[in-house]
Amino acid sequence: MTAETIIQSLASGLLMGLLYGLIAVGLALIFGLMDVVNFAHGEFLMIAMYATFFLFAYFALDPLLSAPIVAAALFVFGAVVYLLIVRFAVRAKANTGMVQIFSTFGLAVLMRGVAQYFFTPDYRSIPHSWLGGKTISIAGIYLPQPQLVGALIAIAAFAGLYFFIHRTDFGRALEATREDAGAVALVGIDKNKVFALGWGLGAALVGLAGAVMAIFFYVFPDVGASFATIAYVTVALGGFGSVFGAFAGGIVVGLVEAITTLILPPSLKTVGIYGVYLLVVFIRPRGLFGSI
Amino acid sequence: MTITRRNVLLGATAAAALGPIAARAQTSEVKIGVIYPFSGASAQIGVDAQRAFETAAEIINGKYDFDLPLARTEGLPSLGGAKIKLVFADHQADPQKGRAEAERLITQEKVAAVIGSYQSAVAVTASQICERYQIPYLSADNSSPSLHRRGLKYYFRAAPHDEMFSQAMFDFFDAMKKKGTKIDTLALFHEDTIFGTDSSNAQLKLANERGYKIVADIKYRANSPSLSAEVQQLKAANADVLMPSSYTTDGILLVKTMAELGYKPNAIVAQDAGFSEKALYDAVGDKLEGVISRGSFSLDLAAKRPMVGKINDMFKAKSGKDFNDYSSRQFMGLIVMADAINRAKSTDGEKIRDALAATDMPGEQTIMPWKRVKFDENGQNNDADPVLLQYVGGKFVTIFPTQAAVAQATWPMK
Repeated sequence: MTAETIIQSLASGLLMGLLYGLIAVGLALIFGLMDVVNFAHGEFLMIAMYATFFLFAYFALDPLLSAPIVAAALFVFGAVVYLLIVRFAVRAKANTGMVQIFSTFGLAVLMRGVAQYFFTPDYRSIPHSWLGGKTISIAGIYLPQPQLVGALIAIAAFAGLYFFIHRTDFGRALEATREDAGAVALVGIDKNKVFALGWGLGAALVGLAGAVMAIFFYVFPDVGASFATIAYVTVALGGFGSVFGAFAGGIVVGLVEAITTLILPPSLKTVGIYGVYLLVVFIRPRGLFGSI
Repeated sequence: MTITRRNVLLGATAAAALGPIAARAQTSEVKIGVIYPFSGASAQIGVDAQRAFETAAEIINGKYDFDLPLARTEGLPSLGGAKIKLVFADHQADPQKGRAEAERLITQEKVAAVIGSYQSAVAVTASQICERYQIPYLSADNSSPSLHRRGLKYYFRAAPHDEMFSQAMFDFFDAMKKKGTKIDTLALFHEDTIFGTDSSNAQLKLANERGYKIVADIKYRANSPSLSAEVQQLKAANADVLMPSSYTTDGILLVKTMAELGYKPNAIVAQDAGFSEKALYDAVGDKLEGVISRGSFSLDLAAKRPMVGKINDMFKAKSGKDFNDYSSRQFMGLIVMADAINRAKSTDGEKIRDALAATDMPGEQTIMPWKRVKFDENGQNNDADPVLLQYVGGKFVTIFPTQAAVAQATWPMK
């Protein structure tokens, strides 16, 4: 194993990790806001990737250009999912937790089925784009441009989200609702509006991730599954309810995955992730940056 | 008339009495279970497989002027012209679901035989269930060598397995070396289920026997979100030939990651799977000019055997695709099974098994480049000759073995 191999693996791990973080942060946001785990998170990613693919296929729109469009569309989609499904699920009188789980889980199965019916199970991918297949090489270390730009977008999105939560009125309403949803109603904040905004934001972030990923990954109806699993681990590792934790957790997962692959046979690479995850929950059950 | 309880009882008794007659008359239809992934990561394989099986059923059930068993007659003549009815079941690439679906097909749907299954890992469980119920299982396209070495009585495979495929690859390497091509080191890259594992075991064994050096043997996790670390290792090893055993999703990601990390091997010789799929070439075909994959089918054969082209057209009308390595074997799977049921003159599992064991179908009566279909005591057809195909100018041409080749191999690949 040469130094070059190690640096290359760490660089690839870091780039992937930032993307994992971007995928996970929407999940963390929604969970932190209202204690609901969105089990359809991977399917949100999947439709974002399909949207990017179709915008490319029919309008020749480069994924970089369609990213804001896809994010905006996913924002609307997320808000609608809250207003049409989750709003009623959290109101359930009995077994509220179960109803929440099954409503988003059911949505996931439905979305996957609908995608398979309309888009066929075929693997699609964007054959050529501005960044696709391009690479920057520094001293023998290759940094694929799609992942590099994806990582930069992820950092910008985190910064934007941080600013939004801490510096704007809506952000403060978001935080306040998170602290005590009952009390905010007394000061005239519409809880439903805030929750819908939270779902919209969460979906928009995963939409952004989907658009970037469509440059270098293939799309098919089940594509969300493997990324969603990592997103759940990332959120749990970084800390429930912490957006910053999801960001940090993503980087940790990416790096651990890369290092594990260097040391152990690659087929065991997730062992490293789950090993670190178990270690963290043993020592600090709320996760690295968890506040709940 | 009002329906009384007595009437219902009478009706039920009458129906029960008629039962045996109905069962006998029911030979107008022979059910065959077809177990494939219709959802999940490999769903496209299942969808294409369904079209291949439907094409075969159409030819068996209708009248066609092909030199293929059962083509010229309608249905199965020795069962009074009974038609083949396919019952499709979805195993989602999950061996446990495969087991459950096989059991359901046999006990609920009462199928006379089962054909499967794309993933070898599923074939393992599904064929065990068939064995228990004494229902024949035919692997149309499973290629793991260990499958026919389990001492099962009801297991059959008309197609080649990975050792035969790998042998063809090493025969090809030997021939290329004789011509002066430098092939000393090999890198294996295989997924971690039974397909990839068996494939690499066969390749390791052959490499040792014939004096090739394995400089990387990377077993990776199937459906990984990222393969950059794995590709990094392949690049560091920089072997003369890269030999991947991957399904479609991993194949696409492998090729994309190789391009991103600036790794360009001299040659890729693939154990088909993903590398025989149209989706892979749609996605990354521009990076694969000159890739070599093993196969058991080649459309080149249509030049020698016109029915191959005509049957391919029938399949293409349904699926929008040409036959590939998988769909052609699936097609033949049903033909072989239906032929055996016809010769068994019965839908009884044991009789069909004996008829399968007695199969002797000449190669010219298939759409494959095989010598013939004849099973050994393990249910394996050892006369199914594999071929090597090279992707040149957007299509595959046969380059090996010499008697089947229509072109010389381009080496190194572009």
